[in-house]
Amino acid sequence: MATFLAAVRGRRAPAAVVALIAALAVAPGALSQAALLNVQDAIGLALFACATNLLIGYGGLVSFGQGAFYGIGAYTVALAWMHLNTSFWVTLVAAPLLGAVAALVVGLLALRTRQLYFALLTLAVSQLLYVIVQQQESFTGGADGVFGPMLPSFLLSSGNAYWFTLAVAAGGLLLLWQIARSPFGMTLRAIRENRERAEALGVNVFGHQLLAFTFSGFFCALAGVLSVVWAQSANPNLFSWTESGYPIFMAVLGGQYTFLGPALGALIYEQARDVLLASFSDSQLVFGAVLLAIILAAPDGVAGLLGRGGRLLARRWPARTAGGQRAAAGTAAAAGAGAGDGVRRQDRQDRHDARTGGQQDRADGQEDRVARS
Amino acid sequence: MSHYLITFLSALTEASSLFVAAAGLTLVFGALRIINIAHGSFYAFGAFAATTLVGSAAGGWRFWLALLAVPLAVAVLGGVTEVSVLRRVYGKDHLAQLVATYALFLIFGDITLRLWGSAARSVAVPAVLAGSVTLDGGEFPVYDLFAIGVAACVGLALWALLQRTALGWRIRAAVEDRELLASAGTNVPLLFTTVFVIGTLLAALAGVLAAPLASVAPGLDASIIIAAFIVAVIGGLGSVTGAAIGALIIALFNTAGVLWAPAWEPAFIYLAMIAVLALRPWGLLGRAER
Amino acid sequence: MSERPMLEVRGLTKVFGGFTAVGEVDLVVQPGKIHSVIGPNGAGKTTLFRLLTGVHRPTSGSIRFEGRELGGARPHVVARRGLTQSFQITNVFPRMTVLESVQVAIVARHHRSWDFVSAGQDKVAAEAAELLQEVGLAPASGARAQALSHGDQRILEVTLALATRPRLLLLDEPTAGMSPAETSRMVGLVTGLARSRGLTVVLSEHDMDIVFGVSDAVTVLHRGRVICHGSPAEVQADPQVAEVYLGGEE
Repeated sequence: MATFLAAVRGRRAPAAVVALIAALAVAPGALSQAALLNVQDAIGLALFACATNLLIGYGGLVSFGQGAFYGIGAYTVALAWMHLNTSFWVTLVAAPLLGAVAALVVGLLALRTRQLYFALLTLAVSQLLYVIVQQQESFTGGADGVFGPMLPSFLLSSGNAYWFTLAVAAGGLLLLWQIARSPFGMTLRAIRENRERAEALGVNVFGHQLLAFTFSGFFCALAGVLSVVWAQSANPNLFSWTESGYPIFMAVLGGQYTFLGPALGALIYEQARDVLLASFSDSQLVFGAVLLAIILAAPDGVAGLLGRGGRLLARRWPARTAGGQRAAAGTAAAAGAGAGDGVRRQDRQDRHDARTGGQQDRADGQEDRVARS
Repeated sequence: MSHYLITFLSALTEASSLFVAAAGLTLVFGALRIINIAHGSFYAFGAFAATTLVGSAAGGWRFWLALLAVPLAVAVLGGVTEVSVLRRVYGKDHLAQLVATYALFLIFGDITLRLWGSAARSVAVPAVLAGSVTLDGGEFPVYDLFAIGVAACVGLALWALLQRTALGWRIRAAVEDRELLASAGTNVPLLFTTVFVIGTLLAALAGVLAAPLASVAPGLDASIIIAAFIVAVIGGLGSVTGAAIGALIIALFNTAGVLWAPAWEPAFIYLAMIAVLALRPWGLLGRAER
Repeated sequence: MSERPMLEVRGLTKVFGGFTAVGEVDLVVQPGKIHSVIGPNGAGKTTLFRLLTGVHRPTSGSIRFEGRELGGARPHVVARRGLTQSFQITNVFPRMTVLESVQVAIVARHHRSWDFVSAGQDKVAAEAAELLQEVGLAPASGARAQALSHGDQRILEVTLALATRPRLLLLDEPTAGMSPAETSRMVGLVTGLARSRGLTVVLSEHDMDIVFGVSDAVTVLHRGRVICHGSPAEVQADPQVAEVYLGGEE
């Protein structure tokens, strides 16, 4: 249990991920067709959410337009099949590369602006692609999307499609994890924590954010390919800004400050959506309410809550579990100046957010005055 | 030459409700520095509430009641939202603020669906505004002229508010020079609530105003918030005059685009928004602050 | 003989709208010295620092650092050239641990911030640990920056700047809000490190005991302009300074 919590909180991820993958790998034997499709969907969304979180949780960039790259990934597969009859295995490689190039172009344009404008700009890019794809019917299939046997026969069996999705997503997540824990990833986190200070220490913030944006585009497009494997089609809605809201939602829900948090968010979302649809016939209200509750009361997301719960558990029953002993030792080190109580830390964090929020205002204001003069 | 007048007036009609909605959005952004995604939801509430109150029975007095009462009612909702939710996110980072208003957008959207269902609804024009006038070049609906008139009145009222009242001075100070505001001893939380209520009122009013012009259906909140964003960005976040100019530009773009290059028309406005944000984020008339 | 000045500022001016925050400021800082900049609130000290570190672009005037023109260079370029600042309002990485925070600075200095293929930061961990040992923050290595006491955060604040191995260190009110004990600890730390590393320090302070106790040279700003500069004794004796500033406390 402690190992799982530690993994979710970002430490010793490989061990837990391997265990998780093993559990997921045997799913086709255990689950019904429908349930299997759900898990497959969740796995693809987990990649989408973690790729988006490279920007949000690691880079401090709120992009409301990752759907653009998701859609590019999906449509690369669909359109290459439709117009060029290209093999899926080729487009599997081409799609993420296209996503990366697109992200590079958008990033060059968008990353020079203030954070709030950046969110709007990425939203606009996403919407632009959405309307273009809908308009250019002859090229893109229009509002109905692209249907047809675009997948190789290998992927038509539900078991194969599932394992393929699992393999690709796992590979993508492992690569993302490597990026996240590298010196580059640490620098990104510093940029998120305090952009001004990172720059004052010699970090080229624009350049680092551009690289992160490019990586994110790559993996979001890869997730788009997985969406085609799942849906066996591509449709323009993948590009819309409301679609772009989903990975953000999952990242915040699961926990934007840990690597696997967004994956957890994707899993919860997928399961909750079905349950809610069955009982309420609609899920937006609950999602909105949960999102709000998290923003206001638990900004670390579910992973953060689990983490706090795990630390509380470890403190109360240190002798009971072997993992608890390690966790307790870890807690003592991490608690530092006696901030073991999660609630107090939350207050501190809120106060600091308020302070740095104001500071960021001043910094932004000053920077804008530079731009004006 | 003659049909240009009709075309221009059509664009002006479209610009009318767009301006009122965008003015509310831009004021809230300018003073509170919050991008309120739920602004679209308030617009939708206005439109849907009008359908309930007025319906398709071509009544008379009910429309006027809706025009007056619905914006006020939704404004109250806005005030409650600001006090209970938004006050808690002012100090937080941009992601938290965006996600919070996005969450509200989801919640309100769901409520709208539950209260009014998923079928398209309509609002009938009151008898006194029905019919059309004959202008040089063709017939033009009376209601459309009315909508233009209302928008013009709203514009004048906002100008008077901002330029001639103490509240208006404080709002302009919040937009242009925050430190000045604090040092003048203003009750800032109360001011923020007031601005937000005004913004919400404008959104709902725009919704009621636009309701007889097109069908009212789910998805209205998403489409109007996008349009309002574009207008506010182009005009300059924080500038009401900018919102007026932006609304006109977008409406003309849309009208001209439909006439001359229908295939590319929806893309134009997004390209314009991207261009503005990339090159001159503070728009035509905005302040270069965030 | 006289070496080339570490920092040479001539006629530096910054105008915001109609307001002159910094006007025709001249400043010469010799290498290895501790130079204080003092003045009442609003005198332009913070704006001056922002101009030096590249956050603001000068309206006119020049900034020469180690003989090379700096004016207009972006903050990260200035930091790479060897000029770093610590901030008046604690400006750290709240959710990162003390050790990580220092590692960020060192990684940046080594040009390894672009490295996305290595695992972990072990090479820089040793250097970071050593620095934390020197400043006395080693016991708090694993704590999150936001969990530190105010005094410790101020020390971390300065440590971050030090981690970039600057040749000129700007300290913007380093002892702001500190108790007397913390203050003397900070002063000892800064002066000790300055001497041992041959750092040049430019300091802005309100605490006159510190200013006249440790400085080699003092510049006095008032309303964006320099009204006096020289040795501590000269400045203390200057009647203009007394009238504008030293009459009361702070």
